[in-house]
Amino acid sequence: MGYVDVSGVRHTLPDGRVLLDDVNFRIGEGARAALVGENGAGKTTLLRIIAGDLVPEAGSVARTGGLGVMRQFIGSVRDDTNVQRFLVDLSPPAVREAWDALEAAELALMETDDERGQMTYAHALSHWGDVGGYEAEVTWDTVTVAAIGIPYDGCKYRELSTLSGGEQKRLALEALLRGPDEVLLLDEPDNYLDVPGKRWLEERLLDTRKTVLFVSHDRELLARVADRVVTVEGGSAWVHGGGFVSYHEARTARHERLAELRRRWDEEHQRLIDLVRTLQQQAANSPDMANRYHAMQTRLAKFEAAGPPPDRPPEQKVAMRLRGGRTGVRAVIAEQLELTGLMKPFDAEIWYGDRVGVLGANGAGKSHFLRLLAGQAVTHTGECRLGARVVPGFFAQTHAHPEWQDRTPVDLLWHGEPGRPGVDRGRAMAALRRYGIADQGEQQFRTLSGGQQARFQILLLELSGATLLLLDEPTDNLDVLSAESLEDALGAFEGTVLAVTHDRWFARSFDRFLVFGADGRVYESTEPVFDETRVQRAR
Amino acid sequence: MALAVLPTGPDLSVRSATTRLAEEFPELSAHSIVLVVRTCREELRGSPADALPELVERLARQRLRVSLD
Repeated sequence: MGYVDVSGVRHTLPDGRVLLDDVNFRIGEGARAALVGENGAGKTTLLRIIAGDLVPEAGSVARTGGLGVMRQFIGSVRDDTNVQRFLVDLSPPAVREAWDALEAAELALMETDDERGQMTYAHALSHWGDVGGYEAEVTWDTVTVAAIGIPYDGCKYRELSTLSGGEQKRLALEALLRGPDEVLLLDEPDNYLDVPGKRWLEERLLDTRKTVLFVSHDRELLARVADRVVTVEGGSAWVHGGGFVSYHEARTARHERLAELRRRWDEEHQRLIDLVRTLQQQAANSPDMANRYHAMQTRLAKFEAAGPPPDRPPEQKVAMRLRGGRTGVRAVIAEQLELTGLMKPFDAEIWYGDRVGVLGANGAGKSHFLRLLAGQAVTHTGECRLGARVVPGFFAQTHAHPEWQDRTPVDLLWHGEPGRPGVDRGRAMAALRRYGIADQGEQQFRTLSGGQQARFQILLLELSGATLLLLDEPTDNLDVLSAESLEDALGAFEGTVLAVTHDRWFARSFDRFLVFGADGRVYESTEPVFDETRVQRAR
Repeated sequence: MALAVLPTGPDLSVRSATTRLAEEFPELSAHSIVLVVRTCREELRGSPADALPELVERLARQRLRVSLD
């Protein structure tokens, strides 16, 4: 059975900061380990080191059993990669190399059909057979049928960009889970998957006998699948040998233990310094004490050379303050509302203070409904009104603001926009600090991580004085800590909240649910409903 | 010790190639064509079975063409 053994790994950033130091852990024997940490802590860098994309400055990574890697960008492939190339790239190195040689031989034969070219082609074909290429093609057929319902021959030349994010993820997961690699590295495998897709992923990960190391921010997935948790924090990594349910207690206990060890070290350090000073004074008066003084100096030097134990990692401080304000009792009224072509007409009344989860099938019009409430132009019939003093604040998915891409957070805060007054630099930096993004204040929006972009958008909601929060997948890119901070902030918010979400953990904090069914029906539920299937449209 | 020798007798890759190439190259004797095809078959013996008929025929055609030039 395959394993990954990370030993003494160190990585320094180009600006000289040490991102990771003395990272040691081993994952093997069919373990399902989650890799967690704050945005920017070094999770992706560590995965890249394990995958062999980066060479560590010190230390080593040992692997056996073949390594399959699913990268984060899968789900947002927009170039001309086709299904065949995609599946080849997910295959073991020997299959990839044999494929490339075969393709080169085919092209050469098309150019010049001579004996040499034919022999090269024949050898490439034999090699393809020897490395298990034909078996791989049989597997790919199973994979494409399972992921998108089409045999391999029918879709191998199809561009990946014509598949949805969820289909791209599913294709990669099917290929890796059915492939020969015994160790899988999965970077956010659940992104772009709807809830039935996430449940499918959980079942597959629970069933597999492969060793899996995965990064996810989905607390439900972490709780159901992970049997150990590798945490990247404070410039190193540590392993909790239990599941995610007991993780918070284990982390708190570890932090307390580290703080205690550091406090003891500081106390001992101070005691030795005091002793050296005392002996120094005594040695000045008594030559007999000189030897003891020098011995104590040596002991202090050795103690300092050994260095202090690692300190408790600094806590990421994210303090969201969504205030809101009193509005009319009826916050949203929809009467025979129909977003053209997306649903059947429906009525809804949402009251001041309600926490409404907007759930349902992908493509059923949930995001359009939120945009309509936010005052954007969405074709519809029927009526939709906001109550007295209701000020909508809209959180869009992070790619929905092309006009922000080249601007910096400080600039966006400084200039303000209609409905949100600008603030001076001092206030802007203070607000950014509360959201843990002060260091990125002068960076272009496009260069912020998904989590940083999401936190910045929540900050804009805070400053806009919104009394109706319209949130479209707000926890999608937030790390676990930021998601919990958002939940706390929403709990304290005086106003009404409507949130589209696939995050089952987050959805549990809502009181009512508006479900957009695959059949076009919109209905209310007191419990979260996650099994609406995707809306089928002509493709 | 008996060595395992792959059969080079008249299998499908040889038969079908010989028939087609004989029609294509009437100026050559059937014996020469069979000889070339069998040599090609022998040289390509490690190739995947499904691809063998096509590979043998293409290589034999190439060699027969060169011999006529």
